[in-house]
Amino acid sequence: MAAISTRATRQSRLSASLQHWGNWVFLIPSAIFFLGYMIYPILRTLWLSFTDYRYLRQGPANFVGLQNFQYALSDPLVLIGLQRALQFTLVFLPGMIFLPLILAVMVDRVTVRGLATFYRVILLIPAVIPGPMIFVMWRLLYNYEIGPINYILVDVLGIFTKANAPQWVGNPSLVIPAVAVFQWWWGLGYHTMFFLAGLAAIPKDLYEAARIDGANEWQVFWGITIPRLRPIMAILVVLRFGTAMAVIDEYLLFGGFNRGLPTYTWTVYMYDLAFQTGEWLQGYAAAIGWLGAIGMLIITATLLYIFRNRDNN
Amino acid sequence: MQQTLRPPLRHAKPKVRLSTIARHLFINFFVLIILLPLAWILLLSVKSLPDAYSGRLWPEQFDFTHYNYVLTKIPGLSQNLSNSLIVTFGSVTLTCICAVLAGYALVHLRTPGKALVIGLCTATLFFPTRLLSLIPIYEIQRSLGLLNSSLALILPYVTLNLALSILTMRGIFEQIPGELVEASRMDGCTTWQTLFKVMLPLITNGLVVLIIINFVSAWGEYLFAATLTSDQSQRTLIVVLARAFGGVGQFSFPRLAAAYAMVILPGVLAFALAQRLYFKGLTEGAIKL
Repeated sequence: MAAISTRATRQSRLSASLQHWGNWVFLIPSAIFFLGYMIYPILRTLWLSFTDYRYLRQGPANFVGLQNFQYALSDPLVLIGLQRALQFTLVFLPGMIFLPLILAVMVDRVTVRGLATFYRVILLIPAVIPGPMIFVMWRLLYNYEIGPINYILVDVLGIFTKANAPQWVGNPSLVIPAVAVFQWWWGLGYHTMFFLAGLAAIPKDLYEAARIDGANEWQVFWGITIPRLRPIMAILVVLRFGTAMAVIDEYLLFGGFNRGLPTYTWTVYMYDLAFQTGEWLQGYAAAIGWLGAIGMLIITATLLYIFRNRDNN
Repeated sequence: MQQTLRPPLRHAKPKVRLSTIARHLFINFFVLIILLPLAWILLLSVKSLPDAYSGRLWPEQFDFTHYNYVLTKIPGLSQNLSNSLIVTFGSVTLTCICAVLAGYALVHLRTPGKALVIGLCTATLFFPTRLLSLIPIYEIQRSLGLLNSSLALILPYVTLNLALSILTMRGIFEQIPGELVEASRMDGCTTWQTLFKVMLPLITNGLVVLIIINFVSAWGEYLFAATLTSDQSQRTLIVVLARAFGGVGQFSFPRLAAAYAMVILPGVLAFALAQRLYFKGLTEGAIKL
């Protein structure tokens, strides 16, 4: 009796687990795309980084160990490229966190329902415009001849003359802030929505209690709002750090392959080597890609660690 | 988003009025910063050529022919537009199907390895996946003979946002009580029937969010599109417009602006019309990341 029942349960357990694995049918389409167009390519890039692979070259790729990485670490273009990406990130990141934060606190208090929705819709418009199109628009806005920014600076305000008006795209020291500004413009509403969702989750009685205790706006903001929003800030800082370090489309379009411009970062250098220079040094390019990615991962892990510690305190 | 519209923090003092005005001024400043560049580019698209090049803000003479010119006189541009439509439609459809199926399995079914899948999806958000997969994807598409075709872009585009889409769908499915699944199983529905008959009607708002997110990224992707297609006739509209430097000839500034308006307006209008569903979708868990 006992033997039969254990066999029965074993069988049913087996069939249940088979059935559970059968549920993978639902995950298979995603798995195929992930494996084919993300995981395999990334691992293949890792393998290429240890070889002298050149695209279209006759003959197999040779394993060269860490040689590519050694080259990369002493290649000034790689080091400058990483430094440039980091500079952009440091300019871009604070604006992309604090502007939406302040704006969200303001929009959150708009009580007229229609107006609150109106603000949200307007602020989110840039989020539905594709990235390269944001770039096309801002290239026109920054245009030296016809751009309204310089028109206002020169003809309306008279701060500059035609001769010394800022060349937003051509001047190496202005390119990075110029890119950062249009990235802020793009991300402002989207990030505001994250903070608004966070603000909505703060219990209202916390505010009331603080007010009864005599706290002013400022104290409430620093004492309740900011600590409660910290998890969202943390996740946005880490995510945006990742995107800002790996920006490539905007740089390709803004500065092209001009190695003197600050838009020639490690990502552009990698693309340049892999597809542009005609030598198709894809093994070396792969090594640069992974080097940058590892560097980013280290900083990301550090950031996550810092934010986790703070949350516990 | 309705939940966020909570009652005002009550103040009795009159000075609060002033702060309300200041607050609205502050918000409207940013509203203007968003709207003015868009307004300027729309205005540019109807300026006459001399006005466009003079840089004056308000034109002396309007010229509404640029739209017609862009649509009919620039060779190949309608082809580029249809490429963009095919690529976007294909990849958005595939991504949404994948994400809905996966989200369902991750929340409402007993699926082994759930934690691993979710962990993997989350990890890809912190990793420059697009950059590191570009070289082999070029190889793959070349060996499959897909370079310079719509499929060359559709297939890799599915992975652009797949991780985020799956996590989004997971958030949306989590809002649906598990008892509903149990009940429909009791009624004799298979897992597929439960998905199509019970779940799909409940996730439409979330689906709107998903479609908008994926539409924007597929419609506007540049890096893959510029690398995997080299024939001008196979390129997407975005690549052609983004590379239309110079501002003379075919793509003189007002014409570029007209093409630009035609590229961004469908998305903006669709969003404006679907915003109610979109914000509902957000509150239903789509923003939980």
